[in-house]
Amino acid sequence: MNSTKPRLQALRDAVNHVQFNRFRFWFQFAAFVLFVYGGYISINLGSHMPFFSCGYNQEGRAGVCYLLPLQHQLGQPWPRLFGMAGIAVLTGFLMFALWFIVLNKGWCGFVCPLGTLQDWLTALRRRIGIRYSTYSQGQFAQLTRVKYLLLALLVLIPLGIGGGLFSHNMSPPFCLICPARMILPMFTGDFSQFTVDFSSKTSMIMTATGVSVMSLFLVGSFVKKRFFCFFCPMSALHYLLSKPALLKLKKDGSKCTRCGDCYNVCDMEIKEIADDVRTANIMTDDCTLCLKCVASCPEKGALQASFAGIPIFVSTEEGFIKRMGKGAHHGK
Amino acid sequence: MLRLKLCVLAMLAALSASSYGEEAPDGARRFGQGGKPSEAQIAEWRTRRAAQNGSESAPAAAAAMPHRHDDMPAAAPAGKPEEAGHGPVWPGGMALGMRGGALWLSDTPPMRGEGGRGGMRASGMAGMEMGGGHGAPVTKRVWLRSGNDPLKSGFAHDDAEAAVESVLVTPRSKPEGEPLPAADGHKGLSFEMPAQGFYRLYLTSRKLQGDTLAVAVAKMEVGNFTHDGDEDEVAAALQAPRALDSAPLEIVRERKQDEKKFFQLKSGDEQAFFVLQKGLPLQGARVRFVSHQGWVKEGVSDEMGRVSFQLVRDYYPPWDEFQKRFKATYLVIAETGSVESGSFNGQPYSGVRYQSTLSGNYYPSPDDYQSYAWGLGIGMGMLMFCGVAVYLYRRRRVKPYREEHFDEQH
Repeated sequence: MNSTKPRLQALRDAVNHVQFNRFRFWFQFAAFVLFVYGGYISINLGSHMPFFSCGYNQEGRAGVCYLLPLQHQLGQPWPRLFGMAGIAVLTGFLMFALWFIVLNKGWCGFVCPLGTLQDWLTALRRRIGIRYSTYSQGQFAQLTRVKYLLLALLVLIPLGIGGGLFSHNMSPPFCLICPARMILPMFTGDFSQFTVDFSSKTSMIMTATGVSVMSLFLVGSFVKKRFFCFFCPMSALHYLLSKPALLKLKKDGSKCTRCGDCYNVCDMEIKEIADDVRTANIMTDDCTLCLKCVASCPEKGALQASFAGIPIFVSTEEGFIKRMGKGAHHGK
Repeated sequence: MLRLKLCVLAMLAALSASSYGEEAPDGARRFGQGGKPSEAQIAEWRTRRAAQNGSESAPAAAAAMPHRHDDMPAAAPAGKPEEAGHGPVWPGGMALGMRGGALWLSDTPPMRGEGGRGGMRASGMAGMEMGGGHGAPVTKRVWLRSGNDPLKSGFAHDDAEAAVESVLVTPRSKPEGEPLPAADGHKGLSFEMPAQGFYRLYLTSRKLQGDTLAVAVAKMEVGNFTHDGDEDEVAAALQAPRALDSAPLEIVRERKQDEKKFFQLKSGDEQAFFVLQKGLPLQGARVRFVSHQGWVKEGVSDEMGRVSFQLVRDYYPPWDEFQKRFKATYLVIAETGSVESGSFNGQPYSGVRYQSTLSGNYYPSPDDYQSYAWGLGIGMGMLMFCGVAVYLYRRRRVKPYREEHFDEQH
């Protein structure tokens, strides 16, 4: 019993002092390989994934992003949707919620292949030596609403399709404009999504918009960290369900000196992480739970990630010094 | 007899030189379980054919007259069905097609009047009906139709002189299938599909026409799969046998190597079919492929019973009426005959005329309506526009370098 405590403390110290960026890079890399190529070794985790494991990557996917089946289900004729098929919709949503509560928005920061790609584009930009872009606070306040608008459209348009108000060629609306539809299959050699569909005016507009959004994604992610996550409707859906989630980001305001390091490293430019010293559960709707703020905080216990109430990664002065000594590229 | 032996030797030589074994060395690709025949399957056929040759059964009789089509080209020129239907006459006076057109099974009922509506629009869920409640099995309805043109064929009329029997082979049934109640007029045949897999329906009609027994086998294969089904069940379904050993004549669609459970044929695809008689490949059967609009291509089955056709594109609506999910129907008709004597309903006959049909669906090829050039063009254009826009925006915001001089003495 006596030897257990020092061991546990040693383990905690090892985790708290970890070279966080390196750990996260390899974690993201492994998750990318799993969800982009896992299908080749028959891995199938179902169709309720709370991140962009794109269903259009038919050969390599190890699971399917929940937004694809959700839109298909909501696009059923109303008598069926509001009848027995509604049970299937609710069951699917429950499965999605069960997956989600495990990692909360950590799915975005550590697992999402599209998020990982954005981080890689950021790394490329940094190597080239081009500076990154930021939003002003006014732009931030306006743009942060876009993801809720997209989420609303993602639900309403399929409902309209099921009710005969919109063309079936519009289905699934968000997937048709999602950059993951084109980019992730590309990693398995499938370029079939790089087309414009001329079979109808609706299809033509939707697919041309999709190609345009993909280009915007590439340029935007190159100059702005986590550019697309800011508009991601999955992120909005996450935030609606985040209260019961197991992984949480907590802040102890009494230990915060408001040095601003956490804000400087935040890819999403969330100002509250530095300014708010009252809220304990500090995760906001734009947060991707990448935990870079915890890694960059020099105050012991000011920021911490906890899983089911148990602290798993806590900010420490030693960890901060160790990471800064290695050059963490924070803020570039 | 000498001719028969020479034929068998020639067939064996052709088989030994074939590359089927190399292309499909594993048992998973065996014919009857998905793709082309394996060497093991060919050896089994040889054995069964040898056994049947001794008993003078139908395949033996068919094998005894393999030269009747020697003067035919491998694939005759394409044409409209009206031209083909009244064209060549078989030796022995056997006209192409049964009287009144071929019997075939369709998942769409005949259309009212003329017009080119596709099955998708005509039938909604393509004869698929949901069961009584949530979780209840899907019910499939098919209609027996008569004619050589998918668009113009009407309902098959009841024939009191014909003996009709229906057999349904399901993923859970015995390999020889189970009888199904006969078609009920225009209501068609219905059956439930509780398990994932392929359901094969055979409707066999026997009728005496003069001194010839006309045997018509209409076949339909229906796939029933879901997105979230049991994977083992799906794998078993994709490997399950696909031919009925007791069928007098049968057409089996050859599966492509990369076929999955939701496979769709597209116009422009090359598709092969096997003609089997009592489960054995039939050489020399005359096979017609009829497209949705009625274009016809003819071919003759080779020593493996195989014949291949290209699904011609025959869907050319105005652009604003184009539907990429347009479901077109193709019809394959295989015919052969044999000199057999016997009696049917107490009446003697001296020959048997076999006809088998198989219908299926195909869809417009994505190449007809998707453009990579436009996709890449728009993508590259947008990429350059965004890149230049970001560059100019940043350049505009750069403040010009300005030196400030301070004179500390004043």
